Amino acid sequence: MTVTPLERAEQRKAWGFALPALVWTTAFFLFPFAYMAAISLWTRSGGKIVATWTLDNYAAFFGKSHLLKALLNSLEVTAIVTVISILLAYPLAWIIAERVPKRWQRMALIMAILPFWTSYVVRSYSWLLVLSKGGVVNQTLIWAGLVAEPLQLSASRTGTVIGFVHFFVMLLTLTIYANLVQLSPNYRRAAADLGASGLQTFRHVILPLTLPGIMVGAFLTFVLCIGDYITPQILGGNNELLLPQVIMLQLGRRADFPMAAALSLVLMAVVTLAYLFCARWLKMERT
Amino acid sequence: MPRQLQTAFAILYAGVLYGFIFLPVVVLVLFSFQDGTLPVPPLHGLTLHWYGEIFADRKLMAALGNSLLVAVISSAVACLLGFLAAYAFARYRLPASNLQRALIVAPMTVSTLIIALGLLSVFSRLDIQLSLWTVGAGHVVINLPLCFAIIYASMGAHQINIERAARDLGARDWQVMLLVTAPMLMPSILAAFFLSVTFSWDEFIIAFLLSRFDVTLPVEIWSMLRSGLDPKTNAIGSVVFLMSVVLLFMLELIVLRKSGKPS
Amino acid sequence: MKMTITAAAVRRLLLATAACALSTAAVAQEELNALVWCDHTDPALIEPFEKANDVKVNLKEYEGTGAGLSIVEQSRPGDWDVFVIDGVDVPRAIDMDLLAEIPAGRLPADDIFPEVRMEANNSKDGKIYAVTEKFGYNTISYDKTKVDPKDMEDLSIFWSDKYKGRIALYDYYLPMIGLTGLAIGKTTAELTMDDLPAIKEKLFEMKKVARQVSDVVASQTALVTGEVDIILGGGEWVTAGLMAEKPNLDWTVPKQGALRWAQSIGVFKDSAKQDLALKFVEYILSPEGQAKLATSSCYWGMPANAKAGEHLTDQQKTALRWDQQPEYLRTTQLYPVVDAELDAAMQDVWTEMLQQ
Repeated sequence: MTVTPLERAEQRKAWGFALPALVWTTAFFLFPFAYMAAISLWTRSGGKIVATWTLDNYAAFFGKSHLLKALLNSLEVTAIVTVISILLAYPLAWIIAERVPKRWQRMALIMAILPFWTSYVVRSYSWLLVLSKGGVVNQTLIWAGLVAEPLQLSASRTGTVIGFVHFFVMLLTLTIYANLVQLSPNYRRAAADLGASGLQTFRHVILPLTLPGIMVGAFLTFVLCIGDYITPQILGGNNELLLPQVIMLQLGRRADFPMAAALSLVLMAVVTLAYLFCARWLKMERT
Repeated sequence: MPRQLQTAFAILYAGVLYGFIFLPVVVLVLFSFQDGTLPVPPLHGLTLHWYGEIFADRKLMAALGNSLLVAVISSAVACLLGFLAAYAFARYRLPASNLQRALIVAPMTVSTLIIALGLLSVFSRLDIQLSLWTVGAGHVVINLPLCFAIIYASMGAHQINIERAARDLGARDWQVMLLVTAPMLMPSILAAFFLSVTFSWDEFIIAFLLSRFDVTLPVEIWSMLRSGLDPKTNAIGSVVFLMSVVLLFMLELIVLRKSGKPS
Repeated sequence: MKMTITAAAVRRLLLATAACALSTAAVAQEELNALVWCDHTDPALIEPFEKANDVKVNLKEYEGTGAGLSIVEQSRPGDWDVFVIDGVDVPRAIDMDLLAEIPAGRLPADDIFPEVRMEANNSKDGKIYAVTEKFGYNTISYDKTKVDPKDMEDLSIFWSDKYKGRIALYDYYLPMIGLTGLAIGKTTAELTMDDLPAIKEKLFEMKKVARQVSDVVASQTALVTGEVDIILGGGEWVTAGLMAEKPNLDWTVPKQGALRWAQSIGVFKDSAKQDLALKFVEYILSPEGQAKLATSSCYWGMPANAKAGEHLTDQQKTALRWDQQPEYLRTTQLYPVVDAELDAAMQDVWTEMLQQ
């Protein structure tokens, strides 16, 4: 294939447009990431970072049970949060897409995600008050006679999960809704014509069609949830540590950057695995 | 299930979930009016005292200004870079364009904590003093994929004809891009911009790790929270909420309604 | 038409930004960079100094000496002017050659409570490098309407089930390991690697009766919302500021004793603003500065300068237990002094305890 001078000029122009974004991402994302990966193979000794190549930090991670446990805790919490959030958000997105009159749908959706725009830090702290012994939730439960004694909701994994679920129910309602409204009503009509009941239509037609969207939402939830520091730090009461908390401990208390870098790479590896899983799954769906 | 029962169930379910979604916000706003120094139950009485306090708090107001500055500038940069890149990939054929696009959106799949740590290590190695600029650079990294994806998705074939027509009428490349393409894509550019602003505005971990003396609002709120109980936290939280909601509705009314496009 | 408006707006934005940058340059005052604990960030403390000397004080707070030293290490020489550091870690900073000598004549040496002068830490070879500015205790804070105050006189209560689920542990490993050491009869100054297994076992047991392990605000929140009734590791710095609103909060030193924290202030050797930095140290140590520091919004604590009492109200003094200090000073011990290795081991023990 020959390239004409005109095409070459065009291509040069195209590079000019694409380059700023590529350079920025390389300089401020790819390069720092590579540098951090290098640092994770160094050590901190005698108060200084020493550039000796070693796998000590990774060995320490897999050798010290409290560090490994942070990863397991993170995975558990993230899995619980992702599942609960999808189960709660799907019906809400469905109701907004199917039961709310068209002209009110946008408003209903905006209302469902409005609390996004409260400061994240303040919102987590607000949950602490809501979930406390004398807080709204416990008072309501006692008043309704559902429990006799206030439950330990804050300062526990329950608190962390509730804080996370709140955030991701909003996010997933948005993504699932976007998926549902894209479905052509013809599918449903066709299913009904073939004699499917409402539930059957949902199970065999709607759900499979929205699954790819759910997977994308689930992956987004996974990435954001497993990397978050604020929610477990404020709501978890240090009754267990998640991976980001341990990473911040390496920085804030030990000033051990190589260890923090190694733990970050472990986090990154887990996210990549999740991504590969989702991607593979989506590919299988399509073929 | 009969239709009415279904509807009743749907209303109940939506009601409970909306309640859950709004619960922390309602409590947050309510206790910002707490007459007393502790933002915890019981509610003693209502006062605007804490709102007066936050507007008199020099550090908090400076942080508010810093946040706005960082959010607006970093979002503008992210939108500009995103727009140019989207234009390149939608209008020209570049080698390995899949890989390049993957690189641009890659930061979206990485935790911000990792992005922040990477930048921190490089900045301290290169002796670059931490400041609001370093925070801004980090925010461009996380917002660029978003801006690129939104703008790229809205670049369709129908605009190419108009661009070609403009070129046939003698417009130069930059004129086409600035006077024809950009205005046509304005709704999605603005949507990307405002979305970036709200993300940058509320971002904590990059702002926390990459700032020095001048900090953004979430970081200032965090250090307020570390130093003692105060309904001021609730008051500033409520103000931020109010500002964001106003911005959101403005966006909804001006940008998205007019274009008639779903967001 | 639309484009011209946008272009104009962009131009205006650029101009405004430029003007902003210029105006900050125009009023650029002298600046002082201080690496501090959070109590120093209270505007009530800093603003009088800024106004009197027409300077801007830039404050960066840090948590734990290790983190503070690493900030210094990552900075360029001369970046920092004033350093607030844990009293027991001053020798480390002196050995690293970070601190400048302070002329004795500029310090209110005689006004400082003799028990907290800590000359052994703050000076070396007869030269003064830092001064104690504030101190207090990591002991037991509690709600006296909810617990039996007599129980609070004995640390062993933290290894019994009586208050199970009603205790918050302060999330800082040094004093907490020190307190646990006291409970099993170890002096903090003599803690070594060999004591850690026994302490670890006690910490794990303690975690079982505790409801949460939290930082200052989370502990305070838990105490005032009734989530917990006791904070181990707390003291006047947790409760004193809250006492006006919550008079049922109290604190005590148990019979085994408790830990005493002390913070020192010094000037960086590489600072290019030695005189201004010294002025800041003088201000912090003056009776007025001391009173403000003692009642800072972040946490309260006893001022090191005895004359600060003249600037404190009776209520503030009561909250600080001004009159009981001699007894507390006698029964409390300083933080453990640790080298890097022991520090890392202690942090590991603490993190393991959190993961239990």
